[in-house]
Amino acid sequence: MILLNYIASFFLIALGLYCIVVKYNLVKTVIGLSIMDYGVNLLIITIGFNPGGTAPIFTWGELKPESFFVDPIPQALTLTSIVIGACVTAMSLALVMKLKEMYGTTDTREIRRLRG
Amino acid sequence: MNMLSLQHFPIYSIMVLFLGAFLIVIFGKSKVFRHAVALLATFASFFFMAMLFKPVMLEGQTIAYWMGNRVPAGGYAIGIALEVDALSLFFGLLVSCVVFIACVYSIQYMSHDDNVPQYYTLFLMLAGGVMGLVLSGDLFNMFIMVEILTFAAVALTAFRNTANGALEAAFKYLVVGCIGSTCILAGTIMLYAQVHTLNLAQMSALIPGNLSTATKVAFALLFIGFCTKAFLVPFHPLAADAHGAAPASISVLISGVLTKSGIYGLIRLSYFLFQSMALGTMQFWLVFLGSVSMFVCVTMALAQHDFKRLLAFHSISQIGYVLASVGLCTAFGISAGLYHAMNHTLFKGLLFLAAGAVLHETGTTDLGKLGGLSRKMPHTTVLFLIGAFSISGIPPFNGFASKWMIYQATYQKAVETGNIGFLLVTICALVTSTLTLASFVKVTQSVFFGQLPKEYENVKEVPFGMRLAMGILAAMCLVTGLLPEAVTRYLTEPAARAVFAVTDYINNMMGAGYAQSAMTAPPAVQSVSFASAGVWSPISWLCLLMIALLAVSIVAIAGKYDRVSVKSPENLGGKYDLFYGGEQTVYSQVGGDDLFWGFKHNWRHYFSFMHELHSGVVNDYSLWAVVALALAIVYALIVL
Repeated sequence: MILLNYIASFFLIALGLYCIVVKYNLVKTVIGLSIMDYGVNLLIITIGFNPGGTAPIFTWGELKPESFFVDPIPQALTLTSIVIGACVTAMSLALVMKLKEMYGTTDTREIRRLRG
Repeated sequence: MNMLSLQHFPIYSIMVLFLGAFLIVIFGKSKVFRHAVALLATFASFFFMAMLFKPVMLEGQTIAYWMGNRVPAGGYAIGIALEVDALSLFFGLLVSCVVFIACVYSIQYMSHDDNVPQYYTLFLMLAGGVMGLVLSGDLFNMFIMVEILTFAAVALTAFRNTANGALEAAFKYLVVGCIGSTCILAGTIMLYAQVHTLNLAQMSALIPGNLSTATKVAFALLFIGFCTKAFLVPFHPLAADAHGAAPASISVLISGVLTKSGIYGLIRLSYFLFQSMALGTMQFWLVFLGSVSMFVCVTMALAQHDFKRLLAFHSISQIGYVLASVGLCTAFGISAGLYHAMNHTLFKGLLFLAAGAVLHETGTTDLGKLGGLSRKMPHTTVLFLIGAFSISGIPPFNGFASKWMIYQATYQKAVETGNIGFLLVTICALVTSTLTLASFVKVTQSVFFGQLPKEYENVKEVPFGMRLAMGILAAMCLVTGLLPEAVTRYLTEPAARAVFAVTDYINNMMGAGYAQSAMTAPPAVQSVSFASAGVWSPISWLCLLMIALLAVSIVAIAGKYDRVSVKSPENLGGKYDLFYGGEQTVYSQVGGDDLFWGFKHNWRHYFSFMHELHSGVVNDYSLWAVVALALAIVYALIVL
């Protein structure tokens, strides 16, 4: 079960990288970035997961040494990472829009004024 | 706790920058207000860093600050920490100082742009991100700061979005930068899975004894992530694109500050978290990467036609020096590398500001179109020449002192280990330095000397504020070049000692004795020797230069040298113009590209190969990143 999660997360990261490297459409590049990001998010959540654990929400009285819950730190990290992922998508889409206006295309092979 | 105690200064120095950014978002409409806030914030940040100089650099303390006073409990560091040892403070001082100077320059440089409030917001966010990165004691916070600075840098690259290639450069930077950031995040979380902490000090205690496949892969991921931030080969095209398009004051930050944050990350990673630098294979890795960056980028720079793009390639070439020297794992090598890192920030900042001044007045940075500006912009020319002398390693400027130390450090390493490879690095560094000088001769000739094109007849000197910023940097170039002993003793030597004092670093954060109890084998504190540091003396080289100059002057005076005064032809109409058979004077500037045509012709296959390779397609650059990552993982699995 957990192993499947790990495999899936690394598969997603690899898929995202593949998409970025192989696809020539700017929008698909952005999609690749997002997929890679989701892969990392899944990895983080999986690392913090304890099979059978409860949600890590306690008041002071409830928390006992025998309480068994999932690791809360990776969840906090994932939240941050999701926010950052949203920023990446927003910013890159804004740039794609402007690029399309200026170059008249979304093909990465034609957006290469800076080279050499 | 007293609010003014030293403990709080690191967080203040980060906070003022972000606070300034937010204030400018809200009240930035007023010009006076935003300038005052930006200047105050950057200066306050520098001030707080400077206040830490005495306790950290001179007395050797490590300042630890726990957010919300959540100190480690039960041997686990749950709270978020800032930790400032001499290494962090060295980078912190450098960053805050250059940020302040860039801010002074921005005020007049950006005065003709739209949306200036947004510029200052992003500028302060970028500065805050870098400060946060170098002072942070928490790996995840380092990732967050990396993201903040990447975003701010991307947005600022695209700031003049009508400029040629600005959007394109920003998009490429964003894609490859995000691959790098994702690598850092993945590496961080894989380390967390192994040691269940994010605190740098605690990780440094726990990781080295328990290397597993996962931690090795994490090392490779983090390594590539920080390489992206330092723009080392194969990520150098991004730096060139970003520098070319960004405003000059931002180029200063990208080259002087952002790349340093990458170097800082690499040092923390390999010297602290994994403590793997004692391995010869790791030293080989860093030194090799540094040498390749050094050489490839300087040859790329030789072939450039754009002022700022050329400077950008040089920037990465100099970062190569820093990495090669830091990778030697000797105290002298690290000291030399950090010294060069500091000098690089100063002289490259100066050069970019000079390029910005040229752009500000003429509206172009194309080397083919410029020429003869020394008559119109004499101060800028002199300041630029100081920067050019510094980067080419000519005494008495600072580039000479640090490059000399790097040659010595690599040579010393070669002698100590008997490994001929390090000698090759020395030779590579020397050749690179020569090529750097060659390409600056080209720039100087094609921008400042030679004939002035007709359309720049009315060019004026830049405003005082811009010259002031350049002047400060030029003075610092000269001072750090003339006083290498002082710089070494008070800045780079404490930082180099801190790099080897891992046990102290851990104990300061986690409580005394933690390192000894947690680590399976606490590393022996390496003996720091500066034995050969006294051998070199730039002063003697300065004397040599003086003697040579004197000799030339004597020969000139003793010979049939007549002082001829030439009245400036501009003031006298066509009377004193050159006469070519009655026709109008022909514009015949000797272009920068013509200077080294023989060299270029002999190397034409190499240059055309490199030109084809840097295709400008973002897919290619991403592919390089993926290949580099794959190689790094394989190498880490084999050697660590």
